[in-house]
Amino acid sequence: MASQSTSSTASSKERKVLEGQDLSFTFPGAQKPVFKDINMFTNEDEFVAIVGPTGTGKSTLLRVLAQLIPQGSGKVLLDGVEVTRPSPKISLVHQSIATFPWMTALDNVKLVLAGSGMEENDATQLGKRMLGLVGLQGFEGYYPKEMSGGMRQRVAIARALAASPEVLLLDEPFVHLDEITANEIRKEVYDLVFNPATTLKSAVLVSHNLHEVVRLADRVYVMNGSPAVIVEVMKIDLPRPRTERDPGFLDYVDLLYKGLNVKAKL
Amino acid sequence: MDLTIPFATLATVGRIFALIGLAIVSGHLLAYAAIKSRRFENIYVPLVNVFESIPVIGFLPLVLVAFVLTFHGPIGVELAVDFLVFDAVAWNVWIGIYQAFKTVPLHLVEVSDNYNMSFWKKMTTLFVPHSIPRVTSNVFSSFADAFFYISVSEVFTAGAATASLCPGGTCSTFGIGTLITKYTVSGDLAGVYYCLISVAVAVIVVTVALSRLSRWAVAKFGVDTPGPIKRYAGRWRGRLVTSPWRAFRNQTNVFRGYASRLRASPQEGTREEGGPRTAKAAKYAGISIVLAVVALLLYGSASLVASVSAQTWYGFFEETPQLLEYVGADYVRVSLIALASLVLAVTLGYVLATRRRAGDAALPVIQILAAFPAPTYFPLLFIATLPFLEHLLPTLYSEVYIFILGFLSCFYYVFFDFWIGVQAIPSEFVEVTRNYKLPFLTKMRRVILPASLPYMITGISSTINSAWAGIAIGEYWPSIAPKVAPDGLQVKFGMMYYISSNMANGEIGAAAYVSLLFAIVVAIYGIAFTRNLMDLARKKYVVEEGIFAA
Repeated sequence: MASQSTSSTASSKERKVLEGQDLSFTFPGAQKPVFKDINMFTNEDEFVAIVGPTGTGKSTLLRVLAQLIPQGSGKVLLDGVEVTRPSPKISLVHQSIATFPWMTALDNVKLVLAGSGMEENDATQLGKRMLGLVGLQGFEGYYPKEMSGGMRQRVAIARALAASPEVLLLDEPFVHLDEITANEIRKEVYDLVFNPATTLKSAVLVSHNLHEVVRLADRVYVMNGSPAVIVEVMKIDLPRPRTERDPGFLDYVDLLYKGLNVKAKL
Repeated sequence: MDLTIPFATLATVGRIFALIGLAIVSGHLLAYAAIKSRRFENIYVPLVNVFESIPVIGFLPLVLVAFVLTFHGPIGVELAVDFLVFDAVAWNVWIGIYQAFKTVPLHLVEVSDNYNMSFWKKMTTLFVPHSIPRVTSNVFSSFADAFFYISVSEVFTAGAATASLCPGGTCSTFGIGTLITKYTVSGDLAGVYYCLISVAVAVIVVTVALSRLSRWAVAKFGVDTPGPIKRYAGRWRGRLVTSPWRAFRNQTNVFRGYASRLRASPQEGTREEGGPRTAKAAKYAGISIVLAVVALLLYGSASLVASVSAQTWYGFFEETPQLLEYVGADYVRVSLIALASLVLAVTLGYVLATRRRAGDAALPVIQILAAFPAPTYFPLLFIATLPFLEHLLPTLYSEVYIFILGFLSCFYYVFFDFWIGVQAIPSEFVEVTRNYKLPFLTKMRRVILPASLPYMITGISSTINSAWAGIAIGEYWPSIAPKVAPDGLQVKFGMMYYISSNMANGEIGAAAYVSLLFAIVVAIYGIAFTRNLMDLARKKYVVEEGIFAA
């Protein structure tokens, strides 16, 4: 059973944005589901994280939430309306930073506007604005191979933001970056979620880095077992901005470690 | 049914596999030499690329003169046929093994160096096993290529050059290509049908066997292999020919797995200068093989030049502008065939790559068609449609047949390469296109076509080479169906017609001269077009570079 460790944060509004109800998923040909009976949601202005041991299906769950792969059972709701197909309103940022090498940074961002009917000039302006939001002003004409890993991931995030998403799904987006760059982008991503200049309402982060999770998340779902289930839901009640020196920061990290050691009753 | 038919089929298949085996053995020595010596590599790789881009048919006059006149009798004919088939299979296998050796994971090379493994130990435990998936994969296309050329190389006529050497002036060696020609010329359609059935059985058995072998090879020897390793042990051979349909279906998975594996481990092996004595021996063996091939070609060329008077050569030079027009006409034909192949490959290939069930059902059929040599069944198609097409397009019907034969000869290359290219697109990119609901045309123009461009260039290059072979046969085929078309199938304006008709009349010098012109044009085309396009693809359109996972 899920337990709630602390009280709610003050920042999130109690209005569900993205919700997964009774989700389960089994790979084709496999006997056992990867996960089952997953119930989770995000509130408006809330940063949610999912943690769990390797192989529990966290990345798969993100893809189900994005409807990039269909769930075995259950449903996904966005603003209370069932979602059955991929939608730019739920944007996924990949673990392996995916930018098209034959396009400039600006073209990579503008790509997602191709079907929107937006005028070319407007698309260019929006693309530049999104690149500016992630700190890449002046790099619009650069190709991905001319950029560092951190800059590439910023391009991928700018691309996701240009699609005017309501929810950002982040699949271990900082894992390939050095710690200094990762720290910078973590802060930028968090600021973007609550930036009125974007359409974002909430974000879901999958990560193995528990320090990163405590730093960013308002609420954490802990997955474990086989098939995986949600074994704990933990609210992180710390003032922002957070650092590891904050009183209570490491206590939350310890609580998450304990949560990961809890085996689901199968 | 003539009982020699199955034996002729076996002889042809045996000839092909013996030559593929020779190409594999020599390819390993050459590849090892190339990765050990930068100087050798700088000569070897461009040379193979040039040879690969010159259609076998361009070598025909030189080879015939070199072998038939040097080794009189059946041995000369057999060697000429073997050289042509070897030429059809070797470059593909050689370059495949070289690429496999170049992509041996660095950490495995370091392990072999760390423990001072000998040359043979390195070869048997690392380089050869690592090359097996690529070799088995390349043998598919080599087998299809070889079978295709069998139909033009097992029987040939070269006027005066062969008149005194072979009965009736037509040289032939025992094989299914010879039998099909014999039955077609005599109007024995039943004989042709039996031959086609025999070829079909051989094609299906070989394709099933290679499918299973390839699947096993990828599972066992692939780095980060995507599938479980099947252990066939002693029952392996018996199981190769069971459940053909399943084997074909599995083959598509082999390509899928192989495509993802190719992008998963693009590490380059290290180069050692010098090394143990056996390694040096291998290097020199590789160099010797290249030198032998070049010497053979030079010898053939020199024999030919010497056999034709200076005055005749001067006449050929004067004809050059006209001959270049012939080359141009054939380039137009080849371009149309390549364009049609590309359009169909991109549309059908995309559908079959993205709809798994449709792909699993259709790909085995396309694979069998690809391996089935078009010249063997084309006469039947010709006989069945000639009255209708001749009536409908009295002046253009020959062009239509050449187009069809060329298309049937080459469509598969660009199709399979594009299909593999689409399979190799990283899933992250596919997810981006789905996540943001990219319109179909945007998706094709901005993502799918650029991402598969390197594969498409390789495919279109092979397609163009094979289209040459198709039109080479189609432009001058006097004996395609003597009863319904006494003049056969021929067009008067084309380089391949010029080569073939001069060959048949014994004007080997004329045929060789235009072959030389053609080789020069192909080399220029290869450097100016194919290589530049490939360089562009390598610089800008390497899809793997879009995924950053430091």
